Amino acid sequence: MKNIVHKLGLAAFFSASFLFAGCDPEIEDDTVFTRADLDLSKYVAVGNSLTAGFQDGGLYLEGQISSYPNILAYQFSQVGGGGFNQPLFPYEQRNGSGYLKLSGFTSSGSPIIQSEQNALAVRTNVAPLPGGPMLTKYTGDFQNWGVPGMSVLSSAVTQYGGINPYFERLLPDGEVGQRSYIQKVVATQPTFFSLWLGNNDVLSYATNGGVVEQTNPFGGITPVPQFEAIYSQLVAGLSRNQAAEGILATIPDVRSIPYFTTVGPTFKASLPAQVTQLVVLTKSGAQRKVIARDDIKVGASGTALFTLTSSGYLGLIGTQTGKYWRDQARAKFPTDAAAREQQVKDYIQNHGLDTTQLFGVSGGNPIPSQLVLDADEQNEITTATNAYNAFIKAQANTHNLALFDAHEFFNSVQNGLMLNGVRYSPAFITGNIFSLDGVHPTPAGYAIIANQMIKEINRKYGSLIPTIDVTQFRAVLIP
Amino acid sequence: MKSKFLAFLGGAVLSAGIANAGGFQANLQGQKQIGMGHAGTGLALDHSSIFFNPGALAHLRQNGIQLGVSALNARIVYREPAPGISESRTNNPLSTPFQVYASYGKEESPLRFGIGVYTPYGSSVNWGNTWQGRFGLNELSLTAIFIQPTVSYRVSEKFGIGAGFVFATGSVNLQRSIPLVSTFGYESGLELDGGATGFGYNVGLYFAPTEQLSFGLTYRSRVDMKVDEGDVTYRLPGSPLIGANFSANRFNAELPLPANITLGIGFKPTEKLTLAADLQRIQWSAYESLKFDFNGNVGGPGMTTSESPRNYKDVFIYRLGAQYEVSESFTIRAGAYYDESPVQNGYLTPETPDADSRGISAGLTIALSEKVDLDASFLYLNKKQRTDDASKSGGVPGTFKSVAYVPGIGINYKF
Repeated sequence: MKNIVHKLGLAAFFSASFLFAGCDPEIEDDTVFTRADLDLSKYVAVGNSLTAGFQDGGLYLEGQISSYPNILAYQFSQVGGGGFNQPLFPYEQRNGSGYLKLSGFTSSGSPIIQSEQNALAVRTNVAPLPGGPMLTKYTGDFQNWGVPGMSVLSSAVTQYGGINPYFERLLPDGEVGQRSYIQKVVATQPTFFSLWLGNNDVLSYATNGGVVEQTNPFGGITPVPQFEAIYSQLVAGLSRNQAAEGILATIPDVRSIPYFTTVGPTFKASLPAQVTQLVVLTKSGAQRKVIARDDIKVGASGTALFTLTSSGYLGLIGTQTGKYWRDQARAKFPTDAAAREQQVKDYIQNHGLDTTQLFGVSGGNPIPSQLVLDADEQNEITTATNAYNAFIKAQANTHNLALFDAHEFFNSVQNGLMLNGVRYSPAFITGNIFSLDGVHPTPAGYAIIANQMIKEINRKYGSLIPTIDVTQFRAVLIP
Repeated sequence: MKSKFLAFLGGAVLSAGIANAGGFQANLQGQKQIGMGHAGTGLALDHSSIFFNPGALAHLRQNGIQLGVSALNARIVYREPAPGISESRTNNPLSTPFQVYASYGKEESPLRFGIGVYTPYGSSVNWGNTWQGRFGLNELSLTAIFIQPTVSYRVSEKFGIGAGFVFATGSVNLQRSIPLVSTFGYESGLELDGGATGFGYNVGLYFAPTEQLSFGLTYRSRVDMKVDEGDVTYRLPGSPLIGANFSANRFNAELPLPANITLGIGFKPTEKLTLAADLQRIQWSAYESLKFDFNGNVGGPGMTTSESPRNYKDVFIYRLGAQYEVSESFTIRAGAYYDESPVQNGYLTPETPDADSRGISAGLTIALSEKVDLDASFLYLNKKQRTDDASKSGGVPGTFKSVAYVPGIGINYKF
């Protein structure tokens, strides 16, 4: 008897713990995710590299998959959104244009960055376009029209398909150089669209240190009236008298991206005490400027910004060198030695250089303008950016569209943002938001942007579209 | 690129940490009492008085030993803040809080000696390493075993006092992800593992003015569990620079287990029916912050300590229970309790996503022979759904809900 009860007791004890294994707690809430009155059956994304998912200095499959339009479309699909195709690179060519990878650190802790050269979508059997080598064409239907390099200015130019390889790869052969970007995207007739364009109307100028290459008609700052005329044409064409809803995005302050903020502080700290001022070229010509040591921007003090690309040359300050100019000539003419020599002579001629003088501290051998964004150049950019953004906001109002104020958002994360126990900031590599090119976001950065857009769409249209779990997206990969 | 690669990689690696909470104090110290909402301070029910009230122990007339174990099966669900949609559930291992009590006193001697080995605190939470809060916590396992030799003195038929010395031994294992993804695609992680010890005491008074009425008052002291030279291990990208930022391999920490004051009343309206009520005050305010000291860097140069605020508040637990003797060999019990959460708004953590909790319980005892009884108990615990931004604890913002099902059995042998 005793034995049986004992066994029964044990059996009851263990079966009870199994029995209740099925009784899981549930979160009780009355949240109903809804698109409200939005028609999300055909979402089309219009924009530049940011829209394409460009990161680490290139466009490649992983970046395309983590593009903010792809994330938006996925979240839309949970409230009845339609299908969304992207012009993805095939898996065999998954590294697309090639991109930058972190391969290690020097003994002093500086990152070593290499470029990925395998499994590219680069076409080597055809002549390159002015904007770079041609890429494998994408044939088939797609809704992500993000084209790296696209600006408001170039979107209206029919010839641009023959210049920009990222645009060329999306066009049927017969339309290359025949149809403008605006014509193509307006013809898609979306029910919902995102439009984030205009960054490149100032960014090429900025990342090139205020230098406009004569060969590049899209390398300057787009005049504000021209920007407004083309932009309003784009919005009107996409919205079709409010037949489509959508979201516009403003242009961030280029001064806050790691491409400009990373090098200056360490450079300033590494300068010998006797160097009290630097000589730099400004804008595109031979004009020089003197920058005081204290004018190198560190935190809130100073103004002069040094580009990420300057780091390879700033260690040569005070030496007799023409390395920068020779490197430039070699990049332009990798094989033609005579043309290269001529190019170096042209540089010396155009900028009045004497590379036997001490680099960076003498009038004869100034720091190249491309490596520095000085206060005058910044003012031009800020004035244009503010004017563009005012117009974008006004357009959102006029056409009853949602607005993601990227300018305000990126300013707000300057001092960092804690999310899911991860700190995000604009710091290079360690900040998790920006990829290795210092300009474009990481997958995690794109996911944060997508969530901000979803919140703005919800606010504008009374929908409740869910946001995505940002922790499922990576930042910079660490060797 | 000469730009100095500044550290603070995977920053905030240790902004959160181990926590104990209302949900961390196990209300599972005696199978009979579990069946009665864990009330029993005012009763001289059995040898578990060593825990519940050492002052009542001397009023027991029988020498004996009792063993009990519960199967704690806690389940927690999490949802990220609106308008997020992702949910996660714990996959907690079954934990088995246990208790062993034995006491001996010579017949007619007012002195009674006892020893108790029990597990008043413990936690076992496993969220896995893919959930949204993984940079706060993957997995926490915390055990504390109290060993308490006790002496109790029956001053008179109406009055008893008792005291026990507590030696506590335990262990902690904490695992969390670090937001650094290697070029091979795996996410980094950190594991802290160590043993802990501490000391304390447990004193009680028992007063039974009439046959029907009895009172108990106990004070269980705070026990500081100290981890000395625990192990720190990592899963990290291979670069020496990263390794230099995570150079610590030992840690020290201290976790306070709070003092408790309990007032209990027992009432026997009939020979067969016993009612019990306990009011327990837990001085959780002892738990101000969780601090780790490392013997090297954890996350960046000079990051050798980690402190995150907890600022718990003192709380009450209210308990009610009843026992009815159906026959000589069969007794049934029922009870309930209400446990206030010591975690203030803004301080919620995934270790114990605590909330005010409600427990209901039932139990029975079967006498198998003159010398052997069998106890069984069942406790259902339901914590209120709680949404918190975790802004002050560096925890994981969102909504948590937990329930637990706790069957238990015990066996008593009298000699």
